[in-house]
Order: sequence, then C-alpha cells, then structure tokens
Amino acid sequence: MIEVRNLSFGYKKRKLLYKDLNLSLPLGSIYGLLGKNGAGKSTLLKQFSGLLFPKGGEILVNGYAPGKRMPSFLQTIYFIPEEVYVPSLTINRYKKLFAPFYPLFNEEQFYHYLDLLDVRDKGKLNTLSFGQQKKFIIAFALACNTKILFLDEPTNGLDIPSKIKFRKLIASVFTEDKMIFISTHQIRDLDNLIDNVIIVDNGELLLQASIAEIEKRLSFKVVDQMPDPNDLLYADSALKGYSVVMRNPGGEQSKVNLEFLFNAVTENPAKARSIFQNKN
Amino acid sequence: MNNTFNIKRFALLVKKAIVERPLQTIGVMVLSLLLSFILYVVIKRIFGFGAAQNLTLVWGLAGGGCFFSSFVFAHFSSNASGSSYLLLPASWLEKWLCGILMVGFMYPLIFLLCFHVMDLAFVAQYHHSLDPTSVFYRQQYESVYPYDLNDFIARNVYCLFLILAGSMLTGSLYFNKIPFIKTSIALCILVFLLFGLNWLIAATLFDHMKDAAPFDHVTVAVGKEEGTLILPTGVESFFHYSFVYAIPTILWTLPLGRLREKEF
Repeated sequence: MIEVRNLSFGYKKRKLLYKDLNLSLPLGSIYGLLGKNGAGKSTLLKQFSGLLFPKGGEILVNGYAPGKRMPSFLQTIYFIPEEVYVPSLTINRYKKLFAPFYPLFNEEQFYHYLDLLDVRDKGKLNTLSFGQQKKFIIAFALACNTKILFLDEPTNGLDIPSKIKFRKLIASVFTEDKMIFISTHQIRDLDNLIDNVIIVDNGELLLQASIAEIEKRLSFKVVDQMPDPNDLLYADSALKGYSVVMRNPGGEQSKVNLEFLFNAVTENPAKARSIFQNKN
Repeated sequence: MNNTFNIKRFALLVKKAIVERPLQTIGVMVLSLLLSFILYVVIKRIFGFGAAQNLTLVWGLAGGGCFFSSFVFAHFSSNASGSSYLLLPASWLEKWLCGILMVGFMYPLIFLLCFHVMDLAFVAQYHHSLDPTSVFYRQQYESVYPYDLNDFIARNVYCLFLILAGSMLTGSLYFNKIPFIKTSIALCILVFLLFGLNWLIAATLFDHMKDAAPFDHVTVAVGKEEGTLILPTGVESFFHYSFVYAIPTILWTLPLGRLREKEF
C-alpha cells in the first residue's frame, strides 16, 4: 500500500516539482506511471523507495516512511532503476551474496525466470550486454518476492522478443498481495499489462484511474467525422478518418489506447479531470 | 526484526562488501603491500633502515589506507550502483560499521602485521649478514633494530592515517564522482588555507617573522639570531588533543549521519 499525503518535492528549494500531491495506491495492481521526459516519474519512484526525501507532506509505503530506509521496509520493496548495476560476479555468486538480504527469495523461481528471459551466461555479469544485465536484475527482483516492485523504464535496452517475454513474465508472477509499479515513457510496452494508470505532468497528478474505469468513461475509436467538441478529448488523423478519445456516455466497450489516453490527458488536463471527477 | 543492528545481517554485509568489489578491497590492499615492500627495499638501499621504516609506514598506512578508504563508501558514481547500495536491506548503522571495520581495523591490522613481518625479516637478514668477528660488530648490530610500532613517529603516522582515512570516508559520501581526487583537492585547499592564513596572521603580528607553522610555533629573527615562539602549554594541549582525538572522531562519525541522510 502506498499512501501519499500532500507531498511536496523539488530539487531546488524555490522550484517544486511536486506540490501537495495526494495518492492512495492499494496492493493488488500493476500500476503504469506515465509522463513526459522530465515530468518527475523517476523522482516519484525514488521518493517511494526512500532514495529521495519529501520536502513536505508524508509518504507511507507498506506502513513505513521510506526515507528512514529501515531494513524491514527495504525487504518489502525492490527498485530497478533505468540503468542497472551488476558487479563483477557470476550469477551464482551474485545470488549467494545478495539473496540472503531478502527473506522471501526463492531460488527455484530465480532460475526459472532467468530461463524464461534467456539469461544463461555462466560468465561475469558485468561482461553481459546491457539488455542481459537488465533481464538478470528483473529475474532477481521478481524472485525476491517483495510486496512492491518499482520498475523505472524497464523495457529500455530490451529487444522486441525480450519486451514480450518481460510482459508475459510480469503478468504471470503478479499476485493480489503484490504491487508492481512501472514508470515509463514507452507507453506501448505497457499495453495489456497494467490495470491502473497514473499520469503526471509538470509535477501534477493528471489522472489516476483503473483501466476498467477508463473504459467506462472514455471511448477510443476511429470515426469518419469529428464528434461534438464538447465530447472530444483528443483526435488524431488516421487512415480512415480520425482516431478519437471522447466521452463515453453510452458506456460502450472499447479498448484503451494508452498512447491516445496519455495525449488526451496531457493536452486537455482540465477536461479529463472533469470527466473522471464526475462519478455518474 | 531489529532495524538498527543484526549480527547475521552485518556479517552478510561485510562478506558482500569484500567479495562484491575484490579489485577495490583485496586488490588495493595487495597493491599497497607490494608498493610498500618495493619502497622499503629502495629507500633502505639509498638512505638506510631508519628512513625506509618511517617512509614505508607513512606511505603504506597513511597513503595506502587513505586510498583504500576512498573506495569503501564510493558507490555513488552511477545512479544504479548508488541506489543498489542505499536500498540494500541493511541499516545505515550496519553500513557505517562495515566501512569502519574495513578501514579502521582490517586494513591497518593486515598492513601493520605485514609491515612488521617484513621489517623483522629485513633486520634479521641485515644482522645475519654482519661479521661477528668484526670490531664494529656490536656497533653495526645495534645501529639497526626492528621498528617500534609504539614510538613517537609511529603514533603520529597513526594520527595522520586516522585524519586522512576519515576525510576520505566522509568525502566519498559527499562527492559522488571521483571522490578520491575531489577529497584530495579539498584537503590540499584546506591545508593550504590553514598554512596561508596562519602565515598571514603571523606576518601581520610579527615584524621579522621567518616562518610559521599553524597551531605550533612562529620563528622570528632577532638581530642576527633566531627565536621560536611556541604556544602556551594549555593551548598547545588543546590543539594536540584536537588533532589526535577530536578531528579523527568527527571525521569517522560524519559518514554515519551522512549515510542516514544521503539522498540519491
């Protein structure tokens, strides 16, 4: 569970990146944190994991203040940064040195995940390619069985087959007592993976909603003619007309296009907010 | 669960710290011992035993220890290794104690043991090479003796080691990239300022000043003679205890607080 109350944070005292941010994220979901470059996605993940401390407000992760970095808290989270660190050790040596710090680490799962991600090299980890190193860390992190897994741009550096395997693996290991929090600007990589969307821009929370709720409130479709501007949230020219994101008063089913959703919300934040605030 | 200190977790942390980066731990130690051996041999040949013993101790303990300590907390050169270190499930006290154990106990103990064994061997070899029938045998024999690790110079070298290693431990938590170089520069600037300011103040106070050492003495020319003004005993003791106890204590405990408040 992540509770954020009136979070304020900025790298410079006078320029806050986040101001009075409030969030409540229960376990049992795969969250996708979307935002432009420099929107503060990595900063938010670092706040949640305890690498950065709030300037104001409060964060509670699994009931702990992350900034205290207590071992009992750190055993419940795993943070994979965009660029991973692997020492000059073999896979087995790494496992022997690092795994004992995580009481729920499962060796069988670890080797299974490595196998699924095609990491089979017996040499030193730092001699592997960047993609292989990243897959190794992902396998290790998943085998640690922490309650919360933070992934910052996890698909950066992965080739297309690896991205597919990554998505399959994340979906297969996820259970209701866990939370997976993925921050990315490569929105397509999260298709069919996440069940909750958080969009941030300019330090502001623009959207926090489940995929089911987005499907209920918005319609994603291709139309011949532009709909009523009052209902329209976003439009882009397509081969046969326009791809649009619009209000969904009739509750018709459509598949959420994360890329269009992101554009819609960042271009029309006020309108998006009004659609999602209206509980009818 | 104990969030402050757990002996099993601490043992795991120490093991990890040594094995994870063998080049920076075992490698630097071996290199330091090897260079100390070479230095001892070269200086002994040129200047004799006394200089070899003193210089090797200064180089190996203070110099090597300073270099070794700059790696202990230096995990912050990249985002990935910094976050991996800070988010490893061990308390900041355990991480600090691990660094202290490596720099404050492991390195000096191993170095002093090797230095002592090496010194004993060279001295024994020298004594063995002497001709017992020579008239100067006794004189030559007594001119060289194993280094006393408890004498005045040795104690000053320990103090130098504590200050330099403590500075590196602290510096590596403040300077994320190339901490050894940045801390060295900061130390040089500090020493230069200390000497420079002291010299300036002394020069304004004394008309015929010849030289001045901070917190120690001022030498002035009086006619054709020279006179040295030393600090009053109480003030001298204050600075002595500051250098020997207070400054090393501050420098070695600062990383504890820094590890706790370090953001990355």
